[in-house]
Amino acid sequence: MKILSIVLVFLGLNVNAQNAPLQSDSTRLLKEVKVIGTAKRKIETELKMAVSVDEFLASSENISFIKRGAYAWEPLLNNMSSERSTLTIDGMHLFGACTDKMDPITSYVESNNLSTIDIKSGQEGSMHGATVAGSIDLKRKSTPFGMEKKVNGTYQSGFEFNNNQLFNLGNASYSSQKFVADGSVSFRKAGNYYDGNNNKVNHSQYQKFNSSVGLALKASPLSCLRVDAIYDQANDVGFPALPMDLWLSRAIITSVAYKKLFEEGLVKVWDTKLYFNAIEHYMDDTTRPENLVHMDMPGWSTTYGLISKVNLKKGNYSSEIQLNAYDNLSIAEMRMYPQDRNKRTMFAYSWPWVSTRFAGLSMNNSLEVSERSQVNFGVTLGLNYNHSKYVEFNWIFHPGASQSKTRILPGLHASYQLHINEFDFSVGTGYGHRAPSVSEGYGYYIYNSFDRYDYIGNPNLKNEVSYEANASAGFTKEKMGIQAKVNYFYIENYIIGRILSLGSPMNYQSVGVKGYTFLDHAKIFNLSLNTHYNFSDDLRWKGTLTYAHAVDEQDQTLPFIRPLSYQTSLRYVKNKISLQTALNGDFTQNNYSPQYGEDETPAYVTWNISADYTFSFKKLKPVIQVGAENLLNKQYSTYADWGNIPRMGRNIFTSLKVNF
Amino acid sequence: MKKILFFLTALCFVVASCTKKKTDYEAEINTVVTEHYEFKEAVAITNSGYAISIEALNGTFYKGYNEIRLKITDKQTHIEVKASNVTFLPIITTANGQTISCPHSYSLDYQADSQYYSGYAVFTKESKTNENWDLYLSFTINGQSYSLKQNISVKEQTNKNLSMTAFTGKDEEQYFIAIVAPQKPKIAENQLIAGIYKNNKPSNPSSGVFPDPSQFSYSEVSDYVLQLDPRMPEPSMGNHSSLNNRDLIQRNDGLYAGVVNYTMTGNWTLNFILLNKNGRILKGTEVSKDFTPGVEGAKSDLFIDILF
Ligand SMILES: [Cu+2]
Repeated sequence: MKILSIVLVFLGLNVNAQNAPLQSDSTRLLKEVKVIGTAKRKIETELKMAVSVDEFLASSENISFIKRGAYAWEPLLNNMSSERSTLTIDGMHLFGACTDKMDPITSYVESNNLSTIDIKSGQEGSMHGATVAGSIDLKRKSTPFGMEKKVNGTYQSGFEFNNNQLFNLGNASYSSQKFVADGSVSFRKAGNYYDGNNNKVNHSQYQKFNSSVGLALKASPLSCLRVDAIYDQANDVGFPALPMDLWLSRAIITSVAYKKLFEEGLVKVWDTKLYFNAIEHYMDDTTRPENLVHMDMPGWSTTYGLISKVNLKKGNYSSEIQLNAYDNLSIAEMRMYPQDRNKRTMFAYSWPWVSTRFAGLSMNNSLEVSERSQVNFGVTLGLNYNHSKYVEFNWIFHPGASQSKTRILPGLHASYQLHINEFDFSVGTGYGHRAPSVSEGYGYYIYNSFDRYDYIGNPNLKNEVSYEANASAGFTKEKMGIQAKVNYFYIENYIIGRILSLGSPMNYQSVGVKGYTFLDHAKIFNLSLNTHYNFSDDLRWKGTLTYAHAVDEQDQTLPFIRPLSYQTSLRYVKNKISLQTALNGDFTQNNYSPQYGEDETPAYVTWNISADYTFSFKKLKPVIQVGAENLLNKQYSTYADWGNIPRMGRNIFTSLKVNF
Repeated sequence: MKKILFFLTALCFVVASCTKKKTDYEAEINTVVTEHYEFKEAVAITNSGYAISIEALNGTFYKGYNEIRLKITDKQTHIEVKASNVTFLPIITTANGQTISCPHSYSLDYQADSQYYSGYAVFTKESKTNENWDLYLSFTINGQSYSLKQNISVKEQTNKNLSMTAFTGKDEEQYFIAIVAPQKPKIAENQLIAGIYKNNKPSNPSSGVFPDPSQFSYSEVSDYVLQLDPRMPEPSMGNHSSLNNRDLIQRNDGLYAGVVNYTMTGNWTLNFILLNKNGRILKGTEVSKDFTPGVEGAKSDLFIDILF
């Protein structure tokens, strides 16, 4: 634990202005600083100690997923699609290179190069750029300087029986007074999974390789330079819910950062980072003989960016100011092969070389009004510029649309927190704009296999404008705690696809063409209830209930809104053994939206159990775990399973973890 | 320093190495389309001290629409000579000895600013060993008239975007439609230009002097409408079409102009319906607008294929 708190100190992991006012580079400084820091959540769940990034995110109550297979789930924050949240790695922006959303940013990292995932709801998440739903920031591991034990490492290996998934994850770090090195390597390989009826779900296999390296050099007692790189490669990834699979996807994510700490004065930390990342994504439909037409659909996404931020603190006031700038180029092509391969291929861009440039300044402030209460407020102002190189593609549906467009994206938020004895309360409000995504603005005949329409971007879309209110109330006493959170979004110009009477589909599976347009408004309401009760030090219970409701301007339900759902778990720890059991389930999805291609999804519940044992082996303390997910082998699919593909049936998993 | 080098090396490595190459969009359309925009001499004739030069795009006469530029110079001085009554008549002698012409401008107009006589010819066939095209030219200089005959060669049009079609309309007249532009279509909104011509049946018998222009008369039809429905015939494209297309109507220069949108490269069929000035259908049938994956798109009985 001591090590963990030191981790917070350097190169650390961005500390939030509100809850951890300062970072410094030595334990001496640490003592002066009151670290209120919320306990950092390790990348593991109650049930499983070796999880994928997706499984970890799934344990958060405001994240749900659209699943197109066993790999690369699309995270939905506050029941809103990924365009509405900012997804970053240490604040760095990356944009997937797949028009079919096969590659959310979360697919380019691995659990062993992350320290935690920072999820912020609504405008509170506007630090890294304009957002509506909030932000998901994946925080990489970075070891502090001058650790007592110079070399540290972890090795995890495991096997999951349902889909024959074998994984090997290793990471190591070296830390001296002047120099730090972090490295990780991981490999996962899985076959097709079996559903609850023991039927094989074809095209659900995957292979992923990920490695990362980070080197830091202390330039002076209070400053350091750090370079980081992640390389990620996925091969032969099946997407059972889509008409094609992934042949290869590669990402290289690099950054160089300079950080300076100040012992005196208002400015405490100044941190600047330059970054570059490139993603290439190649789909493959040759494994699907049922396809009428063979198609190549490569995509590329390249981003350069800059982050520069300062943390200020004076008395009971602290602040974080961040400058974000990036330049992204997204390219996606489609090439269809005629049945007579000697004939001319048919080519078009689905993203006609679309550039996005963004520059924004964000500020988060917090003021401790009294021992009990605190006010947070923030402002963001962003400038978003889009340019479509081959704008003639966009002109086919939107004649005369401007080739480039500049948008101003303001954001504001404020909240008030109050602690009275065992109770804590908060209320907050927010206002913010977001620009349309590349697909929404400039996409061209992008096939959506969920509603089976080809989607056309609209360069003339207005900014989506969100008005938000949130509140929470909690009660904690020795053995128990309960917390309720609600948020409500009123979103003007809500971007969504609507059937166009013009034009005819290009992809042979589609039934028509939809154009992105905007609804006058949409309303989204989320509620979550978290409780825990400790029967004893050994036996602990946790429960979560979430509910959401979202409607468009005509009070019709929006798609992909999670029905009433619950997670409950019981954990027993005694000496070297711990046992966990959990139930996860959704109620029937009564409010589904047939006009957006949804059908009613029945209720389901899955039962999971696991046990782990820590034993001694020489000086090491390896942990082994055995467990089962969906123990009763229930056949089910959730409201957000693309094309109602069935989820995994009973999955027995084993894993081993060794720290050295 | 080492680290910066490492970073730069990593960066270079990545920038330089994409697994698959991006399509060069400019070159993509060039793979099947050659665009000619330079007029070059296609035929040179010397007659009575005058040099006559006829220019066409790429210095070649192609089957289909050809813009023609004729220049007359004094052979000795190389100075341009002003002539009047410049006429131009292409005639093919078929294998069985028939003589037929094709849509052409009989009288060539002098373009003062660019100093040539302009006209066009829509060659309906390529030259073959037993099928020959001859040009019959005549002009008047200083009251003296000259006429001459020159054999020419008409080549196959390799650009599949400049095709032509000939047909008999419901009014028993012979019609010709030839695409003039775009030579090189784009995945975009394209201005589509076509010439629509008819053969004027001779009202009186031949004068007996060959060639009698009244027996080989063609003209641009006026105030017709050419309805357009572009579609991709490839079975997997399921009769895919585009939007915002506009029917072709006549411009001041006699050619017909409309708008065609191509949504991707490949084979397209321009399905036409030709209406005369009274709105009567002369040729062409409505095609199905249904999306029919796996079925080759049916064509109008009046169509021209496009490939780019
Ligand atoms: Cu993809």
